[in-house]
Amino acid sequence: MAVLAAVAVTVASGSIGLAIHQSTKSRQLYYGRVTARGDLAEVIGSDRTDQQVPASLVPPKLAAEALTTTSPVTFYDSSFSLQPVMWAAQYVDGKLVVAQYPMASEQRDLEALDRHTLYAAAGTVAVLVPLAAFGAEFAGRRLRRAARTAHRIAAGDLDARIGPRGRAGDEVHDISRAVDSMADALQRRLRAEQRFTADVAHELRTPLAGLVAATELLPDGEATELVRDRVRVLRSLTENLLEVSRLDAQVETADFVAVPLPEFVSETVAGIGFDVRLSVEGDPVVRTDPRRLDRILTNLLLNADKHGRAPIELGISGLTLTVRDHGPGFPPDILAEGPSRFRTGAPERGRGHGLGLTIALGQARVIGAGLEFGDAVDGGAIARVRLPPIPDSALDTDAAGHLTPLDT
Amino acid sequence: MTSLLLVEDDEVIRIAVGRTLERYGFTVRTAADGLAGLDRFREGPPDLLLLDVMLPGLDGIGLCRRVRETSQVPILMMSARGDSLDVVGGLEAGADDYVVKPVDTSVLVARIRAVMRRAAVDPSADPAADRAAELVFGDVRIDPGGLEVTRAGRPVALTPTELRLLLELAAHPGVVLERHRLLREVWDYKWQGGDSRVVDLCVARLRTKIGAERIETVRGFGYKLRR
Repeated sequence: MAVLAAVAVTVASGSIGLAIHQSTKSRQLYYGRVTARGDLAEVIGSDRTDQQVPASLVPPKLAAEALTTTSPVTFYDSSFSLQPVMWAAQYVDGKLVVAQYPMASEQRDLEALDRHTLYAAAGTVAVLVPLAAFGAEFAGRRLRRAARTAHRIAAGDLDARIGPRGRAGDEVHDISRAVDSMADALQRRLRAEQRFTADVAHELRTPLAGLVAATELLPDGEATELVRDRVRVLRSLTENLLEVSRLDAQVETADFVAVPLPEFVSETVAGIGFDVRLSVEGDPVVRTDPRRLDRILTNLLLNADKHGRAPIELGISGLTLTVRDHGPGFPPDILAEGPSRFRTGAPERGRGHGLGLTIALGQARVIGAGLEFGDAVDGGAIARVRLPPIPDSALDTDAAGHLTPLDT
Repeated sequence: MTSLLLVEDDEVIRIAVGRTLERYGFTVRTAADGLAGLDRFREGPPDLLLLDVMLPGLDGIGLCRRVRETSQVPILMMSARGDSLDVVGGLEAGADDYVVKPVDTSVLVARIRAVMRRAAVDPSADPAADRAAELVFGDVRIDPGGLEVTRAGRPVALTPTELRLLLELAAHPGVVLERHRLLREVWDYKWQGGDSRVVDLCVARLRTKIGAERIETVRGFGYKLRR
């Protein structure tokens, strides 16, 4: 962009300079001719025709041309040794009379003019090129900002906007406004859908509560067990839907406390209802939200139980918690794009409504943890939760083993 | 036999939960709305009040407040919307804890028992408590043996939960107790359960009774009792 501006300015100032040069020169030549003819007429009118320039100095071309006519002829001789000269000549009574008008000062004027034009052009380029570069950079930056914002919206940051910048009516401003209003419309639609999901789940809760309570009254038996199992599934689906819509609404905040991981995970594993091999290195205490970490681990373990094969392992090493099964591994689309709701991947992954991993991911975001999905080299799915590090100096343990902040 | 008063407007839940709790050995009386619930309560106070938050007429929060004017009976709220403000309203009005509907009977029974346990703190369970001297925090005096609390010489009426909370804080004077630790010790929750708002609002109620300056909040951590 800046190079283009430099070329444009150079071409423009060059052609303007050339035009001025040409018109000035032709004016000088015209003036030189008139003056030379005037001098010639004066010489012819006087009796000084004898005081002539030596014939050897007269340009042959001038002499030849003068022969063809009886009127005065002129010749501009720029090859003359010291300075350019305008010649005028006429045959009077068979004798060539010449007059010469030196044009050195005109030549100098023209050179000066050319010099000034060059300076002016160079000055213009020097001023305009940085300006053009800046202008191009400014517009480019605004466009890049618009592109970045669009990417952020696509990545899920629905509050991202480009914002009103620059002059109303310029192209970048227009495209920014168009992107922003599109984002507004999308956000409204999405919020409405989220509200609807949350409302539906809420409305389902009351009849479901009656159903859950009523199934407790049924006499034990095979039929009752079938009904209770389906009620459990219906209930967990409703609860998960509510949880997903709360996470989507991004109103969730973490409640951080110091959690001794070994004690915490053994409680989670005890309540899960199937065998989990637990291995803990050391005695790490982390600062996190235990309810949310429990939701993450429970959902990862349930997913491993549903879609993987035993043994299911939960390993803790420092701030990293790893859930691993020995089944077929995660389907490629989960590995590539991460989990998405109501998709369990390949049909052979079995039953499940696919909200578990979405919840785990959403809760991990709330507590600032990373959650990665991968496959083990020797088979099986691996989900890894990386808790954010906490500064050791923020916590101190008193004699009784209670965690207390240092600043109290 | 422990007597419960269940106030719930949804007929299916009222009947089913009532019957199930009877199977667990509770005596259950029921009411379908807030005013009827208040009448039943006045006819004969139960050992525990189980309240739905959303009730026709006098709602659960209003009923809770009316009951608390005269009684320190344990109150457990049931809410269909655990994430909304009605929970906070119920806790502010004096409820001890809440459960979210639909609730498994085993969870509900565990909650009822936890609240009931708080109602029957047995001093003999802790031999040291008998001999323990009176605990003094400013103008607040706690008799750990007789479980009596006075402020400037006048008795303070505390609910069992509030008393357990005060005793837990008094057992560690000057130490900041994290909210989750209090949920475990006072409310019998494990790491996976319990809402820290329950602690915050119980602390708020306790402050109005023993003086706000007694309990210091350490933001982001928890609470400590000041001498």
